[in-house]
Amino acid sequence: MAKEKSSDFKVEFGEPVGMIAAQSVGEPGTQMILRSFHFAGIESAIATSGLPRIVELVDAKKRPTTPLSTIYLDAKASRNIDDAEKVAAKINEVRMGTLVRRIIENFAKGTIKIALSRQELESEDMTPRQVADRLGKLLSLEVAVEGLVLTVKTHTKNLKEVRAVRVKIMRSVISGIEGAGKAIVQKNLKTGEFYIISAGSNIEGMMGIEGIDKSRIYTNDVFAIYRLFGIEAARNAIARELQLTLDEQKISVDLRHLLLIADAMTASGSVKGVGRHGLSGEKKSVFARAAYEETVKHLINAAAFGETDQMRGVTENILVGKQIPIGTGSVRLAIKKEDMSKVKP
Amino acid sequence: MQAEIIKNVKFGIISPEKAKRLSVVKLSIPDTYNEDGYPIDGGLLDQRLGVIDPGLVCKTCGARAKSCPGHFGHIELVRPVIHSEFSKILYMLLQSTCGECHRVLLTDDEIHGLQDKSKKIIALEVEDLTDAEIADNAAEVDEKKGGKSVLKKIRSAKKCPHCGAPQTKIKFSSPTYFYMGDKKLKPDEIRDMLTGINNEDLRILGIDPDSSRPEWLILTYLLVPPVNVRPSITLESGERSEDDLTHKLVDIMRINQRLAQNINAGAPQIIIDDLWELLQYHVTAYFNNETSGIPPARHRSGRALKTLAQRLKGKEGRFRYNLSGKRVNYSARTVISVDPYINLDEVGVPYDIASRLTVPFYVTAWNLDKAKELLARTEYPMILNLISGDGKRKRVIDINHDELLAAVKPGDILERQLVDGDIVLFNRQPSLHRMSIMAHRVRVLPGKTFRINFCVTSPYNADFDGDEMNLHVPQTLEAQVEAKYLLAVQHQVFSPRDGEAVITNNEDGITGMYFLTKDETRLNKDEASYILGIGGIYELPEPDKDGMYRGKDIFSLLLPPKLNFETKTAGGMVRIVNGKLVEGVITKETYGKGNNKLLIKIGMEYGDEVLKQFLFLSSKLADAYVTFAGVTVGVKEYTTNNEIEKAREELLQNTFRLIDEKISQYKNGKLEPLIGYTRRESLERRIIVDLNLAREKAGDVLIRHIDPQNSAMQMARAGSRGSIFQYEQMSMFLGQQATLSGGRIKRGYYTRRVLPHIYEGDVRPSARGFVQTNYESGLSPIDLFMHAVGSRGSEVYKALLTARSGYLYRRLSNALQDLYIEKDFSVRDTANNVVQTSYGGDGMEPVATQFAKMAEKDKK
Repeated sequence: MAKEKSSDFKVEFGEPVGMIAAQSVGEPGTQMILRSFHFAGIESAIATSGLPRIVELVDAKKRPTTPLSTIYLDAKASRNIDDAEKVAAKINEVRMGTLVRRIIENFAKGTIKIALSRQELESEDMTPRQVADRLGKLLSLEVAVEGLVLTVKTHTKNLKEVRAVRVKIMRSVISGIEGAGKAIVQKNLKTGEFYIISAGSNIEGMMGIEGIDKSRIYTNDVFAIYRLFGIEAARNAIARELQLTLDEQKISVDLRHLLLIADAMTASGSVKGVGRHGLSGEKKSVFARAAYEETVKHLINAAAFGETDQMRGVTENILVGKQIPIGTGSVRLAIKKEDMSKVKP
Repeated sequence: MQAEIIKNVKFGIISPEKAKRLSVVKLSIPDTYNEDGYPIDGGLLDQRLGVIDPGLVCKTCGARAKSCPGHFGHIELVRPVIHSEFSKILYMLLQSTCGECHRVLLTDDEIHGLQDKSKKIIALEVEDLTDAEIADNAAEVDEKKGGKSVLKKIRSAKKCPHCGAPQTKIKFSSPTYFYMGDKKLKPDEIRDMLTGINNEDLRILGIDPDSSRPEWLILTYLLVPPVNVRPSITLESGERSEDDLTHKLVDIMRINQRLAQNINAGAPQIIIDDLWELLQYHVTAYFNNETSGIPPARHRSGRALKTLAQRLKGKEGRFRYNLSGKRVNYSARTVISVDPYINLDEVGVPYDIASRLTVPFYVTAWNLDKAKELLARTEYPMILNLISGDGKRKRVIDINHDELLAAVKPGDILERQLVDGDIVLFNRQPSLHRMSIMAHRVRVLPGKTFRINFCVTSPYNADFDGDEMNLHVPQTLEAQVEAKYLLAVQHQVFSPRDGEAVITNNEDGITGMYFLTKDETRLNKDEASYILGIGGIYELPEPDKDGMYRGKDIFSLLLPPKLNFETKTAGGMVRIVNGKLVEGVITKETYGKGNNKLLIKIGMEYGDEVLKQFLFLSSKLADAYVTFAGVTVGVKEYTTNNEIEKAREELLQNTFRLIDEKISQYKNGKLEPLIGYTRRESLERRIIVDLNLAREKAGDVLIRHIDPQNSAMQMARAGSRGSIFQYEQMSMFLGQQATLSGGRIKRGYYTRRVLPHIYEGDVRPSARGFVQTNYESGLSPIDLFMHAVGSRGSEVYKALLTARSGYLYRRLSNALQDLYIEKDFSVRDTANNVVQTSYGGDGMEPVATQFAKMAEKDKK
């Protein structure tokens, strides 16, 4: 039978599209390669890829293992490397920890001495004075400068408190946007456009920076997108990230399957993972949950709260040996009772 | 016998009243058999609890072993105990109610303000997630935030808002200890407190009081499951061995008896309390022997007892093993092997199997004659069993043959042996996608193995190195029709994953086609007739002027007459005009796995049946031609000449020089670090990129220097087997060996080096697992070691990945299995929530994408 019209390709009623989507992602899972040796670009070398990334996405992990943002620049900065670098410097997150070569606490005097690394300072284009000022402002403490050595006076001789200040110093953001990570200017070889990639996902903070194209900012952090743009955007982000990951592995999966997974994860209005604490754990059916994981817990809770299983899902009906209400099983044949008697074996 | 259809299942707690109704006997003797080996009345195997030995009659219902469902008994505990599995819920209840008036610790206004959703919060709290789990799942945290305040309010209440009584904090320690302030609460005290909670308040807390009153969880009246649930087994030595549950129940009864005696004898309170606690322990272990806070009860051998919870739990538990895992009859399993001469949708079934499997033949008034004719047969396709209208199955044997023949009537079912043309389901595990089970037509063949066409190996992911497959015979007409029209092989050619063909020609099927359709292939009449004859085509194409037949014309005979097709491949354009291949060579790119535009075209315009026939005939033809033409690969194909040697040497030197430069740059601190990486890591990444580049270049060198007639290269070009990468490994170098962590190997011998032959801290390619020798020349000892490390790593990794991806798959399918297309073409789950209003946004099947791409191209 030839297929000609587009209506020849409509999905049919009852089609178990969820299962097909799961198979389409699950089946090639074994073909995925974790250790990718053949990365050509730099971006792909940084981001988690392959199976771990897929797992991370469908689990709805709050933070990706390797957050990454792509920041496009406005007309001026995207054409000029110097302007682009200036924007990048504003974004680039520098924590005290990276600048410090050595740090010594003097508990007797309640001071902390910090030796800065000349090399790191140079690469971040900063002077010790700048670092000291910034640090002083952040901690509201007095910071003295002497060459490469900073001295912080803590006003306390309590061992614990001094140590706490030390930890705070190491974590403090000296320049850039907190959570933006290291930002580097890249050049699109095709269009010659400059853009920035950064190893963080605080796009909310980045959007406040002058010189960027807010409409094109992108991050691989689904939750960052969810918080900023809402659930619809998060849904698109999940599908897109899944597709990018699969494409990279040269596994072709129709976008429909990925959209369905994303839709299932977001249909409730918040992002839910597929596992025990997400979609599977929130199924209505007690049996379906019990047959999946944590059997006893679900049965006990069902008994205590007096739950009822309506036996509408797939698992429940398999358990009791009924036909599943999906696919050809969703079709019922209706016949009038009086007509039944007319039928002879 | 029509079983009842389960409409819904209500969960609840068995009340003492209900338990009394269920129980048929009070058990009082903590033992099983007497000296004569006879079950003791009032013992744990009392015959009123049901019978399991064949021949005996149940003393309660009078039925025999098979039809007696078993009956509950009970033990009356002299002191109440807590049902430990529910203690967290009891704790929640005690915390949220007043110690005096037992009302919920919320004012009436607050109760009114409660939403349905937040009622469940309290239930959620019981699940007690670890912090990590909460942090991992943001959605849950969000949901909990709404209700946490209510919960906090309840817990922090100092005074009861109803009676004004001050509240003492209830403390709970796993598994069954409750304290009010410093005072330990006894189960009977707890029961009194729970009884005081009124039904309305329970509803506020999300509990349905009709099915689960909390005080029912304090047990005095312990139900004992029937013997069917805990059958004893007789060992070969005649010794009886009891089920774990029976053992545990004996323990409970013993302590119960001792406790009773001590109470009657007026023993000191401390002894009674000790025994009471011991009773509680045994009951706890009886419900769940893995309860945290108690030592698991053990057998004499030291093995932990499997009690009620253990029976249900996990992969081998009742749910996943017995209830989800169905077993079937009418199935067969054996080794598979190839048969290129049977069609794609056929399966060769050995006679031994075909003669044992049966298909039902439903006798009606209209086919009675045919039924009799079948039943009268005494050899191969004959009737094995007759199932009469009342469901009794009789074996058809010589003795009752005539009798049955006379008795057969409409309504009976005859079980007929499997014959050619029957529809069967064929499956290979792991069943990862829907093409892992497909419907085939039976071909009964001699031999002991299932036979399948080579083209259908890929959807099953099967090979013939000893693989076994399963065959199932659908038993109802509905199932057979469904199999034929939905599961048949020809309907599964295109994968729903991406719309590409999964059933294609492979290996020789492609090599043969490549050789046959090459421009220079010309056959004389004898040869052409021979090849076509094998393919089952008995006409010849138009010969050339000199009486020779072009390979392309022979191939064209397979194509549908009016097919027009055009595609661009690596080997140039492929053009089919009016069913004739006029230009180009057929390779994997037009016809094999992954890139199969020709198959899509034929499938779209001519349908599944034509496509199947095209695949079948072309595979036969290709096999015939490849046999005829002869393709061979030996060491000769991979032997290199001086020219290649020189190029190889040069390539390696250049690469090493490049890397040495980077290393010295790094040492001078001039190497720009990559984003997110330290300088050392950046160097590492750069080296890896360079080494990969070297391998790519090696391929180019080979392509430039190798004779195009080299059969290994020919096969690589056809796409049937091997690629330039394999060639590189044979003739150039193996390249960088990977480790499990994804980087280059760096440790092994002491610190910072792999072998003692390498300098510490050496980062050059040769020191870190770059193998520069090849298979043809042999590996140097160090290279061999590096290669072995890589091989081991990939083996370990494979095992790891299958486990990981298997779990991902299980979770995905569990989460998504309920989604289906509703009549209005929206995607819904079985609870009727809409997930998508239109599948994929346009309601199209995924297969359509490929077809649509094709159609768009045609338009241009």
